[in-house]
Amino acid sequence: MLYRVAGQYKTSYKADYALFPVKQDAWLLGVILLFAFVILPLMANEFTFRALLIPVLIYSLAALGLNILTGYAGQLSLGTGAFMGVGAYACFKLATIFPELNIVIVLALSGFFSAAIGMAFGLPSLRIKGFYLAIATLAAQFFLVWLFQKWAWLYNYSASGAIQAPNIQMFGVTVAGARASAMTQYYFVLCVVAVVTFCAINITRGRIGRIWKSVRDMDIAAELVGINLMKAKLLAFFVSSYIVGIAGALFVFFWRGAAEAELFDIQLSFRVLFIAIIGGLGSILGNYLGAILIVALPVIIGAVPSALGLPISPSMVEHLNVMIIGLLIIGFLILEPHGLARLWAIIREKLIIWPFPH
Amino acid sequence: MTAQIKATLLATVFALGLAAPVAAQEALKLPNMSYRTGPFAATGTPHMNGQLDYMTMLNERDGGINGVKIAFDECETGYNTEKGVECYEKTKADGALVTQPWSTGITLQVLPRAGVDEIPMYAPGYGFSAMQDGKTFKWAFNPPTSYWDGASMILQGISDGNLDNLNGKKIAFLHLDHPYGKEPIPLLESLASKHGFTLLPIPVGLTEMQNQSAQWLQIRREKPDFVVMWGWGAMNGSAISEAVKTRYPMNQFVSVWWGAHEPDLKLVGEQGKGYRALSWNFADSESKLMQDVKKYVVDAGKSQINAEAGEFDSTAYQRGILMSVILAEAVKAAQDKAGTPNINREQLRVGLENVNIDAARLAELGAENMMAPFAMSCSNHTGHASAWMVEWDGSKFVKVSDLLTADRSVIDPLVEKAAADYAAANQPWSMNDECK
Amino acid sequence: MDFIHSILIQPFLDMADAPDFLIQVLWEGIVSGVLYALIALGFVLIFKSSRIFNFAQGIMVVFAALTLVGLHQKGIPAWLALPMTLGVMLLLAIAIERVVLRPLVNQPDIILFMATIGITLFLIGLGETIFGGENKRMITEELGIPTDSYIFEPFGGLVMIEQRDITAVVGAVVLVVCLLLFLNKSKMGRAIRALGDDHQAALSVGISLSTIWVLVWFIAGMIALATGIVWGARAGVSFALEVIALKALPVLMLGGLESVSGAIIGGLMIGILEKLFEIYWGQPLLGGNTESWFAYMLALVVLLFRPQGLFGERIIERV
Repeated sequence: MLYRVAGQYKTSYKADYALFPVKQDAWLLGVILLFAFVILPLMANEFTFRALLIPVLIYSLAALGLNILTGYAGQLSLGTGAFMGVGAYACFKLATIFPELNIVIVLALSGFFSAAIGMAFGLPSLRIKGFYLAIATLAAQFFLVWLFQKWAWLYNYSASGAIQAPNIQMFGVTVAGARASAMTQYYFVLCVVAVVTFCAINITRGRIGRIWKSVRDMDIAAELVGINLMKAKLLAFFVSSYIVGIAGALFVFFWRGAAEAELFDIQLSFRVLFIAIIGGLGSILGNYLGAILIVALPVIIGAVPSALGLPISPSMVEHLNVMIIGLLIIGFLILEPHGLARLWAIIREKLIIWPFPH
Repeated sequence: MTAQIKATLLATVFALGLAAPVAAQEALKLPNMSYRTGPFAATGTPHMNGQLDYMTMLNERDGGINGVKIAFDECETGYNTEKGVECYEKTKADGALVTQPWSTGITLQVLPRAGVDEIPMYAPGYGFSAMQDGKTFKWAFNPPTSYWDGASMILQGISDGNLDNLNGKKIAFLHLDHPYGKEPIPLLESLASKHGFTLLPIPVGLTEMQNQSAQWLQIRREKPDFVVMWGWGAMNGSAISEAVKTRYPMNQFVSVWWGAHEPDLKLVGEQGKGYRALSWNFADSESKLMQDVKKYVVDAGKSQINAEAGEFDSTAYQRGILMSVILAEAVKAAQDKAGTPNINREQLRVGLENVNIDAARLAELGAENMMAPFAMSCSNHTGHASAWMVEWDGSKFVKVSDLLTADRSVIDPLVEKAAADYAAANQPWSMNDECK
Repeated sequence: MDFIHSILIQPFLDMADAPDFLIQVLWEGIVSGVLYALIALGFVLIFKSSRIFNFAQGIMVVFAALTLVGLHQKGIPAWLALPMTLGVMLLLAIAIERVVLRPLVNQPDIILFMATIGITLFLIGLGETIFGGENKRMITEELGIPTDSYIFEPFGGLVMIEQRDITAVVGAVVLVVCLLLFLNKSKMGRAIRALGDDHQAALSVGISLSTIWVLVWFIAGMIALATGIVWGARAGVSFALEVIALKALPVLMLGGLESVSGAIIGGLMIGILEKLFEIYWGQPLLGGNTESWFAYMLALVVLLFRPQGLFGERIIERV
């Protein structure tokens, strides 16, 4: 009833290839955007912005970057954290060397640095595959984090070895640094994420996306039908690391405010990978669902005992939290190995034929 | 059965709805960002226990501070900076009077925000050394002594009070490769060039904390005259074991106060004899202060300490107690200044600036010989308490020096520069112009 | 010129200068190499038999060691605590097989890999709840492991060799020999290898998948306990040990994911080379702490020439 597709006829190929061939999808997206842009900001307080909304958006962006590489092009990477770090340090250097440059341009430029580094570490993918490649990207992970610590120029020789987001203004409003209000930062991140998502959707469903999928499904076969593997894989590394780099820059400038090298360690890579896999590899929507589950759920679980007045110590809550997350990951993998996005697809199928399943 | 559940639920809802707003006015909210989990839990837990137990003791013995109960809630971070953001926002939204970030990484994140949000940041014995400059860091406090003070006192301790004795010597600086571990390097470098000793920084990666054979091979090769350790968590225990293994003379091995931690030394026992640490506190379980804690908290079963493992007598636990003592003194000072027992954040900031724990006050608290007297002021947010060298005698720590005092003439110019750099990097930065 | 000299010549002069120190460095390298190899061995066994890349091996090391120490703290004598810990590891293996592996049969590799990360998180939470986070002393003396050290004086220098390190090396060798004998000679061992070669064929000749999986995870648990005892004796037992387990990954890359001997040779190679690199190149030239990445870079370079690792099975791809 609600999700009836009957009666929506397509009269041209163009209509059939449209972003939303089904009207209800467009409406649903409209409602979500309305929520994200209007309703949530009206209801949220600073805690909700800084502990839930902003991190969910930034993590989904990072997962989106990884998903392009792993979910679409089939190259498993465990170096996401370090590539985020490259984006963050590049953004920091650009913002301190050219303080008058608009932050949007700085962000866009810093993505190129991580893209270049990502491509360099993507070169071995031409020879190495599967888990071997995953471990090879670990080399990037550990080497880059070490470099962030040792190369004092990167953090402007500060005594602590950490980078600190300066206060940055755009059109007279402080958007980054300690003086920025949470709502400004949320809107900024939301806009960046929306724009990048829009581009990513269109890249992945176009010619390039199809090339990546063929490489993922069987690269030798793809090569035989005339796809240039080197170009396809390196392009995937480029686009993926670009997005991941922007996510890293947002991570420090619009959320954390300060970062030491260890922030970008392997745990961060795993977290992003979790989001991509739990959300669903090879899907854009999945990144958001995954991020909500992995990032927001622990915050909510952590708040439950005190809200109910249960006498559980905070450390116990943390232990339980870790255990619950572990169990949830296993549970979701068993329930639906293709991720939350597939779960939504199934629900949508059911909704389309509901209430007359036959 | 269901009726019972319903009743409980209803009761909870009512309790939430009614009790919360009332409590908000009647308690001093002094939350702590604890880490009883994660790789650093070993050193974190006793400190957290100490901090918590002193506040519990005040609530039990005196009914709080000047009649106002203390709500010393913990927010678990696991030393994770991400949880740090969450905890900071959460406690801020709850109306916390103070933020206690604990990890250096979280301190770095919170420091600029605390200034904007106008919440006092209390970082006892850790944090950024330049925070002593109260003019620049209006809202940050790191009493009783800073890492740079500590480094200066350690060098005095090993040079018998005259740093020129170190001329031509070689000092290895074994540190965690992390903002915390790197903190004293600028000071040590300037002292090295001034007094003619060689400084050899040896970093230990976070992932290599328990695998330090390469570092100790380097120490064996370089044969430094002293090893100064700036470690944390599992790193210290491993370093001490490695030192024993490589037969490094223990009396040339010195640590900052976090290394005065009995469980680490118990790993090696007798073989660790002679190991020294600079500590701004000294465990004295017989003092009136500790006896009160024992009576009102530990014996009453209200403490989380691991009594069988001797945690009550440990330096770390009693250090945690003293951290809370300082904070409670600040609250008292704030109440006196403000003339009301229910203080706000600005009043607590003023209170912290007026902390004056002199010898008489220490005696009143029943904490003589547990720490050195100190006082903070508008321009001095550290207090620069003196500290002792304590030595491991095979089963416990004993004091082996008089109170040492940091060399202000070297530290203060560096602090001034670091504070100015920090302010410049964070423009617009609001200074406290009322200070001289 | 100076630069090239400091990279290519000076380190070797340093080595020749103090041969006793070089021997000590090599020995330390061998000891850590043995430990890496042990962790890698746990990975390889599970990978061979079930194509699961078991990320949980690291936390199993911590969990096993904590159980042993925890039981001993409860007043159980060491000789009894050891078999009891093995019992716990067996229960763990059965639980993992029942709850996690069985429902996930035939899923893609990456899903199983993620599931083992889920297991890791669960075990971290469980371990911290039960045993607490503080660093514990391994019950070395109680287990009868000698703790003295031998001192040699070759070339007028000084080399110190810890007895417990020797015990570790000897113990590891015995363990590996037993394992190889078991895999190659016993019926069960052959079944494990058969399962690794071809799942379906193995099933069709009547090999029970679930029994073998429990067995393999149990053996991995035993190896984890051995690793935990050895490493715990060196540095104490705490959750920080878990990160060391990541070092097994480059070892696997170097040695090949399926090869038992590859894991051992890879482990030794990485242990020795990273120590040499850190002491003679990393510390003087690069500011130290290169051990955090050297193994991965080395493995990456090797993989560029041999994509299946030094001893891995040749990858043959068909369309």
